Amino acid sequence: MATRVVRGLVCGVVLAAATAVSSQPEEAKVRVDSAWARRAVMIRSNDANAFTGTGAVYATLVNAGPKSDALVAVATDAAGVAEIHETFEESGLSRMRQVARLDVAPGAKVELKPGGYHIMLINLARDLKAGEAIKLTLVFQNAGKIAVTAQIR
Amino acid sequence: MRALLSRLAGALLVWAAFACAAGDAFSAELKTGAFKPPRPAPEMSLRGSDGAELKLAHYRGKVVALGFGYTTCPDVCPTTLAYLAQAREKLGPAGRDMQVVYITVDPERDSLERLRAYIGGFDPTFVGGTGTPEQLAEVRKAYGIVIAREDVPESKSAYWVHHSSFVYLIDRAGYLRALLPFGVKVDDIVHDVKTLLGD
Repeated sequence: MATRVVRGLVCGVVLAAATAVSSQPEEAKVRVDSAWARRAVMIRSNDANAFTGTGAVYATLVNAGPKSDALVAVATDAAGVAEIHETFEESGLSRMRQVARLDVAPGAKVELKPGGYHIMLINLARDLKAGEAIKLTLVFQNAGKIAVTAQIR
Repeated sequence: MRALLSRLAGALLVWAAFACAAGDAFSAELKTGAFKPPRPAPEMSLRGSDGAELKLAHYRGKVVALGFGYTTCPDVCPTTLAYLAQAREKLGPAGRDMQVVYITVDPERDSLERLRAYIGGFDPTFVGGTGTPEQLAEVRKAYGIVIAREDVPESKSAYWVHHSSFVYLIDRAGYLRALLPFGVKVDDIVHDVKTLLGD
């Protein structure tokens, strides 16, 4: 009887440990859904310092974990720089501002969409053609780097 | 202070345009804010990205969608231009009678070539417009468009030009007929352009 209990306990502990190990690369608590980029043309010019154009990427940031997180940086080879921006209305003007971090509360979603939050691509490295896609790395404070593919449309 | 006043005046103009549109029988046929009574669209004489002089009179017989923006604008302008391009496509053969005119609020950076590349990326028939800062200011004043330049040393884009984001619809006879707020549905644009084409 005692041995059976001990065996049961040992099995239980081993199983629990195995479960913990198997879930080890922890299921992604933060994810990026439905990423897409607006088509845009790279503006070519003889002036090497001139802007080659801008673009925008939209997506839904989902935090399924118990801790709050924040998008803090974006990298992509499709443009020289990628910044987090917000468009907002004020006194009949459509304005824009740069956002240092985009907080996503536990269990919450933050939507990046036209006329709101967006990732601004500055100095496009190529044309963003409808039907193609670009790759980005979204850096979250806790979740770290998340690779994202944005369809161009 | 003067800048603030002129900004307020611009906002008032826009508000007045919407207020005039509210609840009148005439606008029932248009989905977006309609002008009652329609009034002649102020004429302009700018340089067009197609290489010709940009005058609204050249487009009599067509419905003109007139907007303002700039090529460094990542969100609002591309969204507006993409919606207009989608509307024109959805109109099918009737789309030939819809002309989009997009005037820069950033003549310092927007050369004709840049305008052509940027706007043409949405639809090659779209025409961009630029001119001297004075000419452009005059056109903006006539249309109640407000802008505010902001230097942004923290961003790689150097400076932004915040601007009014609505689009005017001008009928075949050159009269202001509707005001499309930013983000209006493509189907509503299609509906209103079709309505004006049928006038």
